[in-house]
Amino acid sequence: MSDLGQYLVTEQAHLAMSNKRTVSGKYFAVNGKNVRMAVKTEWRDYDVIVVGSGGAGSQAAHAAAEEGARVLVVSKDPIGCSDTKISEGIATVRESGAEGDTEDALSENLRVAGGDLPVEAITNAFAEDSKQAYDRYRMLGLRPSIDTKRDTPQALPLPMGGHNKRRSVGHKNSGVAFSHANWNAVVQSDQIEYLEDAWFLELVTEDVADAEGAPQKRIVGGLLYDAARGLLVAVRAPSVVIAAGGLSTLYFPKTDTMRGNTGDSYAVAARAGADLVDMEQVQFLPFCLASPPAYEGLLCGEPMTASFLGVLRDKAGKVILDGVYLRTRAECSAAIMRAVEAGRGSPNGGAYLDMTANKQKPLSGPYFMRFLQGSLPSAYRNARQALGKVAAKCEEPWEVRPSAHYMMGGIRVDENGRSVGGAGAGEVANGITGLYAAGQAMGGVFGANRLGSTSLTEGAVFGARAGKAAAKGAAETTTKIDDAAFAPLIKQTAKCFGQKGTIAAAALKRELQHDAWDYIGPVRTAERIEKIDAKIKEWSGKLDQVAIPAYGTWNQAFIEFAELRNMLETAKLVTVAARERDGSLGGHVRLDCGEISAFSQPYSTIVNQDESGVPQVFRVERPRTPIKRLIAYKAQENWRKVQIKMLRMLPSAMQDKQLEKRYQAIMGVGGPAPEIMPGGVDGAIAEATKA
Amino acid sequence: MKVDIVTRRDGEEAVVAFEYEKRELREKPMALDVLLQAQATSMPDLAFRYGCRARNCGVCTIDINGKPRIACRSRVREGDRLAPMATLPVLADLVVRRDGIARQMHGRLANGAQGNDLNVDAPDVYHDLTACIECYACLDGCPMHARNFAGGLPGSMPDGEAQPDPAQGYKWGNPFSLLKLQRIRVDPLTTEAGQNAALANAIELGLDACVDCAGCKCGVGIDLMGQVVGQLLEAASGKLE
Ligand SMILES: Cc1cc2nc3c(=O)[nH]c(=O)nc-3n(C[C@H](O)[C@H](O)[C@H](O)COP(=O)(O)OP(=O)(O)OC[C@H]3O[C@@H](n4cnc5c(N)ncnc54)[C@H](O)[C@@H]3O)c2cc1C
Ligand code: SF4
Ligand code: SF4
Ligand code: FES
Repeated sequence: MSDLGQYLVTEQAHLAMSNKRTVSGKYFAVNGKNVRMAVKTEWRDYDVIVVGSGGAGSQAAHAAAEEGARVLVVSKDPIGCSDTKISEGIATVRESGAEGDTEDALSENLRVAGGDLPVEAITNAFAEDSKQAYDRYRMLGLRPSIDTKRDTPQALPLPMGGHNKRRSVGHKNSGVAFSHANWNAVVQSDQIEYLEDAWFLELVTEDVADAEGAPQKRIVGGLLYDAARGLLVAVRAPSVVIAAGGLSTLYFPKTDTMRGNTGDSYAVAARAGADLVDMEQVQFLPFCLASPPAYEGLLCGEPMTASFLGVLRDKAGKVILDGVYLRTRAECSAAIMRAVEAGRGSPNGGAYLDMTANKQKPLSGPYFMRFLQGSLPSAYRNARQALGKVAAKCEEPWEVRPSAHYMMGGIRVDENGRSVGGAGAGEVANGITGLYAAGQAMGGVFGANRLGSTSLTEGAVFGARAGKAAAKGAAETTTKIDDAAFAPLIKQTAKCFGQKGTIAAAALKRELQHDAWDYIGPVRTAERIEKIDAKIKEWSGKLDQVAIPAYGTWNQAFIEFAELRNMLETAKLVTVAARERDGSLGGHVRLDCGEISAFSQPYSTIVNQDESGVPQVFRVERPRTPIKRLIAYKAQENWRKVQIKMLRMLPSAMQDKQLEKRYQAIMGVGGPAPEIMPGGVDGAIAEATKA
Repeated sequence: MKVDIVTRRDGEEAVVAFEYEKRELREKPMALDVLLQAQATSMPDLAFRYGCRARNCGVCTIDINGKPRIACRSRVREGDRLAPMATLPVLADLVVRRDGIARQMHGRLANGAQGNDLNVDAPDVYHDLTACIECYACLDGCPMHARNFAGGLPGSMPDGEAQPDPAQGYKWGNPFSLLKLQRIRVDPLTTEAGQNAALANAIELGLDACVDCAGCKCGVGIDLMGQVVGQLLEAASGKLE
């Protein structure tokens, strides 16, 4: 996989294609231009640029417009197309399901789940705004079912695992219902202009002195590639909100997220000199499909849906993990990946999730099937379509493999999405003036673990907060923007069009994706981290050998190049943070170090880089949850281990009777299965954080 | 398995006969699998849209043998022809420019509601219409949309006539834009003024084209004739020329 020589030169491939031409149809270009020429640059002025049109971006734009700002939304996907659109559409709304759901209860819930890595002011903001941010969505057309007794949106019947209260609201049409609202927000407003099919490439900054004369960086705008019109667009703006989503495409095809998650959020922020936090904390889901190719990476289950008798097996049929339903996601991923490491993995680099024992029980078997089909319907649908009828009936084991799902780390900001730097929770004065982040792009909300249904709310809460703050910040900026800061960037970018070379970016992307999985994926060691570090350096050095044709309109080679560059940058940030995190915590397992104890001093990793791209990393300590509470969690963890043992020791018929009772307790004799969702700790009902 | 991929870029059209190499013995690849493999091997700068690979994001629509299909969930067979959607202008290879549709909806999406009680259940039809993933498969064969291109397709404009500029938003509507307007009309929070405005917008976008039309089909199974076009025509009866 490492011989770059094997890659086709883009120009050659293009030629080869022309040689195979069988028809020459009438071609038209949208703007009537199809001749080769240097890409032109268009200049624009706004108060606020918002990068991304998912939940965070659209809500930021909407809020900024409300404050009177003139906003430009830039989106590489068509407006609204995003992880938000393809999500399960379950959102956290405080007090939707239970009385006494105080702001403190929700805020602490988030922090404890996140291993005490989240920043308190940020989790407080989440708790404070979840209702009003959700109502902003409703004003834009999101219509949940209503709990008429309580006069609130209807919450799911059970607290989603990891949540200490019922407060997760599901929606018909899942994420698509959110995306209609987001689309309407951006398309409708007179204050908002937007460019879709437009790749935000770079933040433009300027060195200034703050009030005390200390050096500081401030945002003066951004540069983007408008693929639809074949232009570079230089935008002058004092505020930029980064809401461009996550990095899971770094692990493609082992991911269930949108193609556009190439780490652009983190890369552009890092290149501008911003701090990033908890960049080693990638969230992986253990039970995703490994084949057929069309379904690779998509979710097919959670630890909980494996139910009481589900086990994981290696290729020889040996049990590698039992009591799957009581395990955390990380434990399941680790078991699968350890088997793969030892050469005992399945053909596609996973393991087998064997639920046949559940199915075979005469009394409890039918309950199990109902539970499996009902609790995670879209995942079950994926499995049925991909694996076929026999597997769908759980008469044979499923081949499963972990997938990247969500990035818990991100741009280091305060509770209003403003870039911060320095010690502790950070200070705005040490951040980049005019830089904001929201949604998956930001860090500090979830730390080492994310509760189910919290990400859509994160986008709504911090999108609105960042949008407002960005509009205010822009209104307060009086200094004129100097175009000189843009010049070198424009020159450098324009030069890429027509760059001669021997390497295809798309191919190099694949290689990086392959190795990112092996070296900074769900399983890591110090040695692997060093390996990919060296490779990233080598690949980055080859970027100027990537072949890019000269034409401006939708130049896929340039797009691949720009994304590859961001993926390399992001991989570097993850690598540096992963090296600093000297133990297993949250989303990933270190094979060469122990588990990080909940009793030890929690810390977050902070990464930034200097002008030449050399990264630096440091730790900031976080306050720990009181010992008394932690001891209670530990006791619970031990209890689940005992439970697994006891159930295994029962004779088969007795086991069956017991299980029937348990299913009845969960969903009644004929009632619906409790809905759970991917992305939350609910898949790991015995997570130590479940108070 | 041989599949024809229509590529267009930098002023030239070429049809590439791509040999898909099955990755599993019994694999029945989707059109998107073919495109991904082509890009990963012999056509590294092949341009096509995709996002979720799971029929949710709605961006991967292409024409397979001349009919719009969602590429990530459409199986291909030997000899199939993959081409860009014929109903929108091509940017490169299989990528069409979509934003002329969204832009025509600017200013037409208000429901007039202000300070309402938000705790109101929406009727089933509201949710049925919300199922739209904006794939634009329904543009196929729509005479209202064709008005934007002198009654034909963007690729076959009569000589001397200029393409409409998508950046201005298309003048004439389509099943999707009607769906968005009807969705506003069935939203329980929409005021009467909001409902009237939505209807007026539908008429302005060319609802009269629907009167003598055989009808449209939705790529994900929404009942466009029953729940959108029929309802709007009924409400507009007497108001259409
Ligand atoms: C299958 C699935 C199910 C999920 N289910 C749930 C759930 O039920 N509940 C929940 O809370 N969370 C869920 N999540 C997680 C949640 O959907 C996402 O984390 C969240 O939507 C992220 O929102 P965002 O606005 O930050 O980013 P996104 O919604 O991903 O939006 C990112 C936007 O940025 C744009 N963009 C990216 N890079 C650039 C660039 N360089 N230039 C211009 N634009 C760019 C993209 O086009 C896109 O518009 C799920 C995720 C997945 C994948
Ligand atoms: S109405 Fe149907 S076919 Fe048309 S855009 Fe929506 S989902 Fe696609
Ligand atoms: S019924 Fe109306 S919207 Fe549907 S295809 Fe005909 S003209 Fe277009
Ligand atoms: S890739 Fe999202 S619908 Fe096909």
